Amino acid sequence: MAEGWERIEPLLLGVERPARYIDREWNAAHRDVVDVRVALAYPDTYEIGQANQAIAILYERFGGLEGVAAERVFVPWKDMAAALRHDGIALPTLESGTAVRECDVVGITLPYELTYTNVLELLDLAGIPLRASDRGEGDPLVIAGGPCAFNPEPVAAFFDAVFLGEAEYAAREIVELVRSVRADGLTRREALVALAGVPGVYVPSLYVAGEDGKLTAIEGAPKIVLKRIVGDLDSAPGIACPVVPYMDVVHDRATVEVLRGCTRGCRFCHAGMVYRPVRERSADTVVAAAVEALRCTGHDEVSLTSLSTTDHSRIAEIVRRLVRRFEGTGVSVSLPSLRADAFGVEMASLVSRGKKSGLTFAPEAGTQRLRDVINKNVTEEALIETVTSAFQAGWRRVKLYFMVGLPTETDEDVVAIGALVGRVLDTARAVVPAKERGGVKVAVSVSTFVPKAHTPFQWEAQLTRAEISRRQGLLRAAMPKKGVDLSWHDPETSFLEGVLARGGRQLADVIETAWREGAVLDAWSEEFSPAPWQRAFTAESLDAESVATAGFDVDAPLPWDHISAGLDAGFLREERAKALAGEVSEDCSVGACSACGVCDGLSVEVRTAGERRGG
Amino acid sequence: MPYAVSHGFSPRMRIAFGPALPVGTAGEREQFDLWLTKYVPAKDAVTMLAAATPEGLGPREAGFVGGKEPSLTAGTSLAEYDLVCEEVGPEPLGEALGTLVRAGGLVVEHKGKKKVFDLTRCLPKEPRVSVAEDGATHVALTIRIGPEGSLRPEMLVTEALAAAGFPGAPKTVTRTDIVQED
Repeated sequence: MAEGWERIEPLLLGVERPARYIDREWNAAHRDVVDVRVALAYPDTYEIGQANQAIAILYERFGGLEGVAAERVFVPWKDMAAALRHDGIALPTLESGTAVRECDVVGITLPYELTYTNVLELLDLAGIPLRASDRGEGDPLVIAGGPCAFNPEPVAAFFDAVFLGEAEYAAREIVELVRSVRADGLTRREALVALAGVPGVYVPSLYVAGEDGKLTAIEGAPKIVLKRIVGDLDSAPGIACPVVPYMDVVHDRATVEVLRGCTRGCRFCHAGMVYRPVRERSADTVVAAAVEALRCTGHDEVSLTSLSTTDHSRIAEIVRRLVRRFEGTGVSVSLPSLRADAFGVEMASLVSRGKKSGLTFAPEAGTQRLRDVINKNVTEEALIETVTSAFQAGWRRVKLYFMVGLPTETDEDVVAIGALVGRVLDTARAVVPAKERGGVKVAVSVSTFVPKAHTPFQWEAQLTRAEISRRQGLLRAAMPKKGVDLSWHDPETSFLEGVLARGGRQLADVIETAWREGAVLDAWSEEFSPAPWQRAFTAESLDAESVATAGFDVDAPLPWDHISAGLDAGFLREERAKALAGEVSEDCSVGACSACGVCDGLSVEVRTAGERRGG
Repeated sequence: MPYAVSHGFSPRMRIAFGPALPVGTAGEREQFDLWLTKYVPAKDAVTMLAAATPEGLGPREAGFVGGKEPSLTAGTSLAEYDLVCEEVGPEPLGEALGTLVRAGGLVVEHKGKKKVFDLTRCLPKEPRVSVAEDGATHVALTIRIGPEGSLRPEMLVTEALAAAGFPGAPKTVTRTDIVQED
């Protein structure tokens, strides 16, 4: 075993949850003969990152290539980080204990803006220069990926490259590039220029900012970098044999990705916009993958994951086949999210097998007007009917997700959330036997709208913190006094998310200063503090409020104009105009094409396993 | 394996482990019970289970348990521990342990909570201190484990080490055997 493990082992008894650092889990892959070593990092702790499907996919894709070792890296908790620094130990990978800085490539996924300082923590613990411009010939290529890669500018200074989209087939290209760079003796700069030639790769150092802030490509880099996509998901391998953790992780079950993309067209939804078009796996593929994943891991639960699983054209068949197959085995099937209609309740009944914990729905807005603005196709009638069926079928708890701060929102819309929740509660109580009424619970979770890049709302402003608090106060007052558990997102966290999601290159200095001031593990509510960020904004003379709460002019350049998810700019403008007029758009996987541009731009098409249900 | 599944709302594999090992303690004779729906020869069960377990965690022996036997965690068990201490000789350590045991009660603070252990009840045998061939000092402890919680062996030895003038913790802690008390 490499030096890393020998130095880590003595530290284990002095840290919390040592299982985070020990490797050797079932299905962890160890390679003896290696000429390319890829460190795959999730910018948070083991228990968050080990459950991440992107890392699991890439672990198998890279690890399946001849001569390539794919090894995992997670952010150590504070106690281990302090111990590593104290003893001068460079952060090692899990599998071989190799120092991360000695790997050829370090891939870091960016799942959420509040993990940006964790990226710096990881680089620092690894002994890799934080800024790409400071890295030398011996340093690994540090490549970002994941959802936040679609506005990479706030963290562009820390990455040699950013990969946009789906990397299943790009893994091989990146490895081959590493080999050819080595064989041809290319300099680091030459390697980066070559990397920019790989479709889907954005190399920040090859884009120079002009006086107006607009970025111009140099040295043959593409003017606009288009995301990479897997056209035929059914043929693409899924996660065959994931690592089985020794400790509790956030999603402790086997997963099968049943489809990618969602074209319901909710206008606030970043994932729905950047992962288009819809591509389903066939029922046979899903069933076989579920059975194999369970056989390979021994999990007692398999989750059918996607952005909207119950929209899969064959989901009823898939669920029935799996439930039948697992009868009497103690294995259960779970669905991560449900449509708010009778079909959703039917699917939930099928998988619950008698144990009915709770159902979750996301109306998002309190009035039909505002739901039409955001294109969330849920009527109050459908929601009430769904709640009625659910409680008649034996459920006693329902969770509802809402947002405040949506474009065109008024106080009436906010208060209407309370009224809607009240009607849901009354409906639920009315259908259950009198003696069970006391057990009826409605949980309401209210987040704050953050305008995201590449959505029809990308030009909108976020609410100020003061206004968010005021509306949350209105909401609290409008809620039924009993039977409701209300939770809401901390305005400071949402504000910071807004700044980091909408900013440009000027944020790199702020992020670095915030990290130096102690901001780390910010996604953990008990660790998050706005103070280091406040100090960073002041030190770097950045008016953070203006970054988050100023809108963009519809014709002005955006910090992500050189990054493309395949969407036509005209489509986003048109959707915005429709939103402001309160008009809805159809789901193209069921209805007419909305000319979003993705299919033409990426030479792909909507692929469903059968005919989807409308509505 | 043709494992049995429990009945009721939430069917689960019927498998039950003995008393948990504390974090940082190795185990050499840990046990679990597995209910099956079909006969599998014990030797085959060991082979099949070991092949599906990470190295070092697979079962080494198996045997049939009659239907009326109490569960592994029912009642109390006696656990044997071997602790390795470096830089301290057997005499000072043995003397310190003896003094602690004679005192009768041990106050232990763990994660901010204080607990008092009655050593006469926890330790059915005297601690045995010896020197191995490599010169390391070994402490053998027999500790009673019960539903009300049990004394962690390294806490007793750490206390003794401090009293003997060698502040620090044992290098390794291994549970070498565990038997149910009649």
